[in-house]
Amino acid sequence: MSLTLISFLLFVLKAFVVVMFAMNVAVILTWADRRQGAMIQDRVGPNRAVAWIPTFVAQGLALGPALLVVGAVAFALLKLEPPPEELGQRAMLFSQLGILFTWLTFAVVAGKVQTRGPQSSLDGWLSGIGDPRRIFYAGLIAHFLALFVGLALNDSAFGPQIRALGYGCGAGLLIFSVLGGAAYAAFSIRNEPRVGLRLAGLLHPAADGLKTIFKEDFIPPNADRLLHSLAPFISFFPALVVMAVIPFGDTLCFTIKNGGLGSLMSSMPRDGVCQAAGSLRLQVVDLDVGLLYFFALAGTGIVGAALAGWASDNKYSLLGGVRAASQMVSYEVTMGLTLVGAVMVYGTLRVDKMIEWQSQNAWGIFVQPVAFFLFFTASVAESKRIPFDIPEGESEIVAGYFTEYAGMKFAMFFFAEYIAVVTSAGLMSAIFLGGWDLPFLYRDGVHIAIGGTVLFEQGLPHVLVVVVGALGFVLKTLTLCWLQLMIRWTLPRFRYDQLMRLGWRKLLPASLANVLATGLIVMAIVSAGPEVGQFMALLADCTKAFLAIGGLGGLIYFIVFLVKPVHKRQTLSSSSAQYAIAAGGTRSSRMSA
Amino acid sequence: MEPLDQELDEAELEMPTEPMLLNVGPAHPAMHGTVRCVMELSGEIIEHVDVQVGYLHRGFEKMCERGTWTQVFPYVDRCNYVSPMLNNVAFALACEKMLGVTVPERCQWYRIILGELARMSDHLTCDGAMAMELGAFTPFLWMIKAREMIWDLLEEETGARLTHSFGRVGGMASPPTDNLKDNARAVTQHILSVVDEVEKLLLGNRIFLDRLEGIGVISQADAISLGWTGPCLRATGVAYDVRKASPYLKYGELDFEVPVGTTGDCFDRFMVRLAEMRQSARIIEQACQRMADKGPVNIDDPRIILPPKEEVYNTIEGTIQHFKIVMEGLKLPAGEVYAYTEGGNGELGFYLVSDGSGTPYRVRIRPPCFLITAGLERIITGAMMADVVPSFGSLNMIGGECDR
Repeated sequence: MSLTLISFLLFVLKAFVVVMFAMNVAVILTWADRRQGAMIQDRVGPNRAVAWIPTFVAQGLALGPALLVVGAVAFALLKLEPPPEELGQRAMLFSQLGILFTWLTFAVVAGKVQTRGPQSSLDGWLSGIGDPRRIFYAGLIAHFLALFVGLALNDSAFGPQIRALGYGCGAGLLIFSVLGGAAYAAFSIRNEPRVGLRLAGLLHPAADGLKTIFKEDFIPPNADRLLHSLAPFISFFPALVVMAVIPFGDTLCFTIKNGGLGSLMSSMPRDGVCQAAGSLRLQVVDLDVGLLYFFALAGTGIVGAALAGWASDNKYSLLGGVRAASQMVSYEVTMGLTLVGAVMVYGTLRVDKMIEWQSQNAWGIFVQPVAFFLFFTASVAESKRIPFDIPEGESEIVAGYFTEYAGMKFAMFFFAEYIAVVTSAGLMSAIFLGGWDLPFLYRDGVHIAIGGTVLFEQGLPHVLVVVVGALGFVLKTLTLCWLQLMIRWTLPRFRYDQLMRLGWRKLLPASLANVLATGLIVMAIVSAGPEVGQFMALLADCTKAFLAIGGLGGLIYFIVFLVKPVHKRQTLSSSSAQYAIAAGGTRSSRMSA
Repeated sequence: MEPLDQELDEAELEMPTEPMLLNVGPAHPAMHGTVRCVMELSGEIIEHVDVQVGYLHRGFEKMCERGTWTQVFPYVDRCNYVSPMLNNVAFALACEKMLGVTVPERCQWYRIILGELARMSDHLTCDGAMAMELGAFTPFLWMIKAREMIWDLLEEETGARLTHSFGRVGGMASPPTDNLKDNARAVTQHILSVVDEVEKLLLGNRIFLDRLEGIGVISQADAISLGWTGPCLRATGVAYDVRKASPYLKYGELDFEVPVGTTGDCFDRFMVRLAEMRQSARIIEQACQRMADKGPVNIDDPRIILPPKEEVYNTIEGTIQHFKIVMEGLKLPAGEVYAYTEGGNGELGFYLVSDGSGTPYRVRIRPPCFLITAGLERIITGAMMADVVPSFGSLNMIGGECDR
């Protein structure tokens, strides 16, 4: 494809999206890391950064998007007359969305009223309902009722009326709840001189990052000035650009107009392949070397740490730099070898092709389970986080290779570490967790089928499939990031020799054995007859069913976890704490446990 | 065929190497800000180490000689600042030994309860900090949260969180509060659950065990010859605990065990401290059962104990008595005494010399930490750089007590 202006702009846009994704998730991770520590101590955690905005701007922020949504819904209602065969789908969509936004708005407002106390008659009515969780339960019931009524009566004699009712009422509910919620928010802040934007504390790490720009840029007197300044960039840059080969969504298909991209396809057949001219790949660069690019860049990151250690003219830095270099080189070997097995199975180095293979067969974690755990371990070691943080082990060698860094250069090392967590999680979710693939979601919609038995089928528009897949990729990446965060808060760190022993004597032989076993199994399956192939396909479907059920269970568990009330046990309450409460000093006694 | 490098000597081929001299501390995170180690490193191996103490020397013992005996209490608070109540009790006991008086039973139980809580706070800090320095942050936060509850309780009893200055010769500064027993039971229960959780989190963890087992080993004979006491000595298998060996207060009547280790490595020291917290909980429970709810706390001797404020303001005898004790100080009989108790880190002794005036002639503190720190060099020579962290952490060196 020749480089036209459009494709160049698209490239810039994709690069921007990927960089923003990596950096924002890294900021969120920084926040989550500190929040985790705070929660163990019953503190709120980093939440003090606040951006003050004038009240009318805040009101505009609340009302503007709401008016846009209302306008879009009204436009769809009045101008886009749905064809009769799509009315059912549209009615279901609108009614479910309407119910969702209605209970969500009520629950949020009721929760707010509960914490700050009723101020108007509406507040009084809302607090009369009691626990805001009741609104959630009512909403859940309404969701199921609407779904049941829609499915049961769709084909009955009342079908057309029901469809029209669902369509109209759903849209009405949507408009009412979105507009009502925004209006309530705008109304309730009318007397405030200004409104603080806190984003649950997410501004705090951003503010900390900004602060480092204004700090002194300290370079030790005897340091190598050039290398000392270069090292953070060498360490920061590769961590960021690794994301370029990871696709964050399925290829978007367009019609072809004048040899370029036309309009978006409304739907795709299940095995539909986009024509090259009409496809928009959701990855920044389209490299045949794929994984090799990742290894090349991950190897470059080592240089940054080693240089920083050497150029700082500090013995602790030197120790840290040497540790970093040897550790990352050792684990690089394991990383490479574990992926050899995956490459053998997928038969490609391109990450997008790997995801396609996984969507047609089974996720990599089922095909290469050992490789997944080995790769996960090695990539935690590559990102130099606990339990592998010996290059910076703060209790042994102060801060390791970045001891002599301050200000923004320190922040770049710090940030590079978190970005490495995000990019390695993204790569792992692409290679082992199917990337944008979700079980039973194909290009044309949902097909739930085990072997030849079809259980459920529902066509979906092309753009919706791609967007849901991209959200799935984000969710998997965040889950893996969260897992690494939990590891960081659970495990102590290795000693230098124990780490080397683990890398060379355990992980390396294990990854070699994995390559050998994979080779033998792949050969056996290829040379076996078609019955084995069918059996494998059945197994693959079973893994999808397992994933779908597991994912649904996890989602339900998560919702239950969110909804479950938290009981704090009061162990003892000292008189000074009681005085403090009486004086309005603290919101609650410090001595709860 | 001849080898190509025939003219070269093997020794010339190798790069000349010399050990790297590394200054660790006193501002190094592993050195708790109070010790300096000059290490000769060959790679990561410590070939020689020179441990230097004294960075927190504030001349406590000399300062004690300028006030009254009662004015020594704030100084002993600042010796072991992790369990100040134990120091208070120990100094009070030394003075009482010199006077030849015994405090009422209720006060003895009270001192045991507060002292054991302080011991728990000491062990929680040590084990938690040890885990944190190894990178396991969560147990540290759990344990510090539990310690916070102890300090809340002590604040409720004494009015101060850290430096209580609560002991008095012949009693305590104020009687126990009404909910002391309930609070103490609630706190110990919570601490026991924390200990269980920490065991669950750490003892099944291969990395944690690898970092501690066989690290910082010291033999029984060496520990004894260095004068080690407390959990560090008991980790080598010597069941020496002052509370058992020469019971003071009511410890002779209590039912508790002295946990001992076997190998004297960092892991045993960690485990002995965990086990001692359980024993402390047992002691507190027994003391709570046997302590009377009513009754005198201070001894009834106007020469030793300040009169109640009402008497000071309303009677001439009270005023004079108050004036004499405050201005001249208690008159401890001339002579010398050595009294020792089980502190957080081992045998905490006070060697007092009195010339019969109201002012101490000499107060010599025998801190357990000083002698234990003397063994640091021995246990980390030949180890790896990273082993310094658990070895030093498990010794629980408290700068204020070591350097005084």
